[in-house]
Amino acid sequence: MEWLSNMLGPDAARGVGQFVGINIAFVVTLMIVAYTVLAERRILGFIQGRLGPNRVGPGGMLQPFADLLKFIFKEEIVPDKATRFVYFLAPIIAITAALMSIIVYPFGPDVNIPFIGTVRLVVTQFDVALLYVLAVTSVGVYGIALAGWSSNNKYSLMGALRSSAQLISYELSLGLGIVGVVMLSGSLDLYQITEQQGGYWFGFIPKWNIFPQFIGFVVYLISAIAETNRVPFDLPEAETELVAGFHTEYSALKFALFFMAEYVNMFTVSVLATTLFLGGWNGPGVGTFPLLGVVYFLLKVFFFLFLYIWLRGTLPRFRFDQLMNFGWKFLLPLALVNVVVTAAVVFYTM
Amino acid sequence: MTTLLFIVLAALAVGSAVSLVVQRNPLYCAISLIFVFMSLAGLYLTLAAPFIAAIQIIVYAGAIMVLVVFVIMLLNVEEEERKPLRLRALVPLAIVGAGLLFAEAAFILYWVNESGADRARSVGAADTGLTKTIGAGLFTTYLLPFEITSLLILMAIVGAMTLARRASAIRPTDLVVPGSSVLARQTLTPEPDSDATPVYSRTTDEAEHALGLAGVPHRREED
Repeated sequence: MEWLSNMLGPDAARGVGQFVGINIAFVVTLMIVAYTVLAERRILGFIQGRLGPNRVGPGGMLQPFADLLKFIFKEEIVPDKATRFVYFLAPIIAITAALMSIIVYPFGPDVNIPFIGTVRLVVTQFDVALLYVLAVTSVGVYGIALAGWSSNNKYSLMGALRSSAQLISYELSLGLGIVGVVMLSGSLDLYQITEQQGGYWFGFIPKWNIFPQFIGFVVYLISAIAETNRVPFDLPEAETELVAGFHTEYSALKFALFFMAEYVNMFTVSVLATTLFLGGWNGPGVGTFPLLGVVYFLLKVFFFLFLYIWLRGTLPRFRFDQLMNFGWKFLLPLALVNVVVTAAVVFYTM
Repeated sequence: MTTLLFIVLAALAVGSAVSLVVQRNPLYCAISLIFVFMSLAGLYLTLAAPFIAAIQIIVYAGAIMVLVVFVIMLLNVEEEERKPLRLRALVPLAIVGAGLLFAEAAFILYWVNESGADRARSVGAADTGLTKTIGAGLFTTYLLPFEITSLLILMAIVGAMTLARRASAIRPTDLVVPGSSVLARQTLTPEPDSDATPVYSRTTDEAEHALGLAGVPHRREED
């Protein structure tokens, strides 16, 4: 970075670095998303005793690209009497809100890259990174709500209404589940939260937040699965009742954008769970080989993505009143109790 | 760079605000309002107040406006029609008021600007927008207003619950689920329990007799 900042000045050099970082993060995220879709289809196939897509490329490895090409060349169908402007706006909002959060993921410690110098493996680090992620992902609900409204279709509208109700309800528990971690680490910066989870208790238990904050972890994970509209909380797109929910009327690339947004959101949830509760890139040997941190980080993230797929292959869907009762009468009080207890412990010990 | 960002965001905010007033479809108004909030959040960011920006999006764009959009979609509000202007006498008054507002803004920009900006800089604007500073301020200097506000919100919640309860309409066996008024609407209008006595019959006429509906005119298939 030295020569770059000598040539352009420090501000422009930082700008160039962030631009490159954003592009790398964007491409890597989309590749992970593409292969999550493939992994989901193969693993679901395995769970259900069939093969799944294995024809395109070795072991089906090129299937995501074939799918993408198909989406691009499909015909765009806009329903009659759809509100056209909003109909086009909705998928854009969904994918933008999902992708905006990738710039704050801390996916590794400081590493020494030859010819470039020391690089911190996070695109940008700022004071309120966690709140930023919550904020931009909470905007994603407009993508769903507006898609359902503008399609001029009863199923879409019902799906969108269910989705909005579900997202509003579970966002509370999601936020309260995280509060415990924030109180323990005293920071909203994801990079600092990760750094504080390095080291060991008694020499062998890693200092991950999942141990002191197990209830917060469970609350976070359940509400995050509900936030991403995945099984067993996939009522907004319940096939048996609503055809496909809010995206019933969407075809071709617009449908692909919703699909991608859903998987990027899953990725975000997995990254947040890893960073907040499982110590991010921390693990044995990271101090000597910093690049090992990236491997640990990705392994933990892939574990959560696998959990999503596993749940989808295993669990049936909730009923709507069960969903609401569970969210408001069980998860929210549990999260509140966890916040109070954590606050008391933090106050009296630190 | 900051000036450029300010111009873009300010133009977006003012443009969305105008569109919010001018649009006739309520949902478009709501979307414009969301854009106003977003560009305001961007302005806060350029003012080095990331916490306020994040809270602005989470609270206003992420929570309040979702409820507004939700209600608009639920009620299926139609486009409003342009009505002929009433109270024509107010038009010159409005023009005078707008002129005064612009004069005020110009006055502030040209004569007050310099000293005010200097004062803001001397206070130490670098860390005023950070989470720690705001938290410390809220829980020490401004603790009383903060607590009073939270009490006010609690009262509003209790009031809303009381108004929405409608104790007479809901039977003790009913299940009212928050956030799903669509599904709970049937349970809100009480209807007499129907007679569940089983009736044995072979033909439609027999069934009508048993149910006491014989002689009631009803539509036949061939009509």
